[in-house]
Amino acid sequence: MSEKPIQEKSDLVKLRSVNDLRRTMDDYFARLKEAAETRCRKVAWCTSVGPAELLYSMGFEVYFPENHGAMLGAGKNADKYIPTAVAHGYSPDICSYLTSDIGAFLQNETPLQKSGFSAVPRPDILVYNTNQCREVEDWFRFYARHYNVPIVGIHTPLCISDLNSELIKSVSDQYHRIIPELEKVSGRKFDMDSFKETVGLSHDGCVLWKQVLQKAKNIPSPINFFDSAIHMGPIVVMRGTKHAVDYYKILLAEMDERIQNNISAVPVERFRIYWEGMPLWYKLSNLAKLFAKLNTCIVASTYCNSWVFDDLSADDPFESSALAYSKLFIVRSDTVKETVLEQLMQEFTVHGIIYHESKTCARNSNNRFGLQNRLFKRTGLPYLEINGDLNDPRCYSEEQSIIAIETFIDQLSGNLTSR
Amino acid sequence: MYRLGIDLGSSYTKGVLVDENNRMAAFHCVKSGYNFNNASSKIIAHFKENFEIAEPIYTCGYGREQIQVPFVSNSELIALSRAVYEIYKCSCSIIDIGGQDTKFIRVNALGQVEKFKMNRKCAAGTGSFLEEIAFRLDVTPNEFTEFAKEATHEVKINSFCTVFAISEIIGMIKNGATLPNIILGIYNSIILRSFELSLIEDHLVITGGLPAMHPTILNLFKQRYPDSDCPEHSQFLAAYGCVLLNSGK
Repeated sequence: MSEKPIQEKSDLVKLRSVNDLRRTMDDYFARLKEAAETRCRKVAWCTSVGPAELLYSMGFEVYFPENHGAMLGAGKNADKYIPTAVAHGYSPDICSYLTSDIGAFLQNETPLQKSGFSAVPRPDILVYNTNQCREVEDWFRFYARHYNVPIVGIHTPLCISDLNSELIKSVSDQYHRIIPELEKVSGRKFDMDSFKETVGLSHDGCVLWKQVLQKAKNIPSPINFFDSAIHMGPIVVMRGTKHAVDYYKILLAEMDERIQNNISAVPVERFRIYWEGMPLWYKLSNLAKLFAKLNTCIVASTYCNSWVFDDLSADDPFESSALAYSKLFIVRSDTVKETVLEQLMQEFTVHGIIYHESKTCARNSNNRFGLQNRLFKRTGLPYLEINGDLNDPRCYSEEQSIIAIETFIDQLSGNLTSR
Repeated sequence: MYRLGIDLGSSYTKGVLVDENNRMAAFHCVKSGYNFNNASSKIIAHFKENFEIAEPIYTCGYGREQIQVPFVSNSELIALSRAVYEIYKCSCSIIDIGGQDTKFIRVNALGQVEKFKMNRKCAAGTGSFLEEIAFRLDVTPNEFTEFAKEATHEVKINSFCTVFAISEIIGMIKNGATLPNIILGIYNSIILRSFELSLIEDHLVITGGLPAMHPTILNLFKQRYPDSDCPEHSQFLAAYGCVLLNSGK
């Protein structure tokens, strides 16, 4: 490991691509706004790992409530809205993306108002995939009832070990089954060539995103988890479009440039950590600064790696979509997850792993069934568990977590010294 | 010339003077209150009356950087482990019960932290839990020990939440449970929470303000782990470890 400072500047160096990111995201929201206001194109709401390619290929503008939830969290507003959803019968223990999003809706507020929206764009149809969790269906049903619009979904089996042909066929068949409703709403016939092209673009965008993330294998890493959590925006909301492909070419070029010029994501990279679990959106900046101060780079994460759907193939768009979206980490068995994590920890040369147990997101909290102990036995790499939440800051004890993180880095420091 | 370690904890600020042979020489403890600067100043002023103190001061705890003299801050868990290893010189498991935190630390044969875990964002099982219940029952924390001696059997406290534990206790009193038996149940609920942190697989060392002030807790630990031990001045060990971590630097 490099212990010598490679940058004179003590602050974190911002990625230059952030300006292109802003423009790419602004353009996306402008297209959504135009569709919502002029009704020139239909609007579909989609879950973050739902069938976005199918929707884009049929001419929909696609809006992602989870992206909106993350915006509420990052804007430190979730706790203003969650109580409203709770008062309407939604438990504070369920997904805080859901409760903050529905709470904001019930209060007629959205961060999109800063971009000129009067409200979130009205859906013509809601489309979900339960691969990530079943709560997304309940979330979307709230809006289906409110707007009185159709809702269709794909139900993916949970805890998948074996991605066998029956399972892939079952998911692929569900893709086919939602098409008639999409045709009805869009007023447009499904076009195989268009779907193939969209799936091809999605594949290309995912491969570029994967290449960006893999640049963190370099020592020191040119990018950290806190950067990636922001720069993943286009792969979440524009998967299947040229916009995402274009953006990740820019970001990838900057990664190469950083490596060439020995510019690291944190000024001094002494420790390399894997992050398991959701980001704490309301503390992204604080945590980025804390880890930088501790000469630590979070080089890889399950969360950011989850949007790498490189199994997508334009040659076989239905089957490959079914495979890619069922191969997703969150929907796999613990046995598969352990193998994936072990491999990533090796590939990225990490010294340890931090598990964020998110109070309201059981599916993204992988330390609840003993995985952390089993993985420790396999890798011998130390781990830390911190308790918090993706969006609800009331579930997070910052001082206690800082002490735990500092102690963990001291622990790693002791381990390095003894080697 | 003595070196001073200060542990600025959520409830109490503990100071320990360490002599040139790395031995603890004097102790002082004050309530942390809302101003850690005041608390640490009181500790320093107290020792300065009789001792010459070297700078910097070595600190740990929630208020570790709120001190008005030159200081070097440390992780309290690493510091505590260092102090415990200084005393026992072997691998061990530590359970430390403080004002707001309960900690488990496994120290390896080299004195390094191998694993640690802290309580969740919940005060049940910590000193605050006991203080709150004592306040509600209008019993001083010191009287707790005396009451516990009169217990005939334990009453189980099921609530995870401090507030609901009190409601549960009120219900028990209504149903005829005696205060000594309830207090024994409270002590037991505290140590059971600490066992949730990790498996105890080797020599157990118990530290922190709560076990130091409540010997019943130590007795209950001993019932389960007969070889467990609580070193003298255990609530001062993190402060002591701060000095040890920096000795020779």
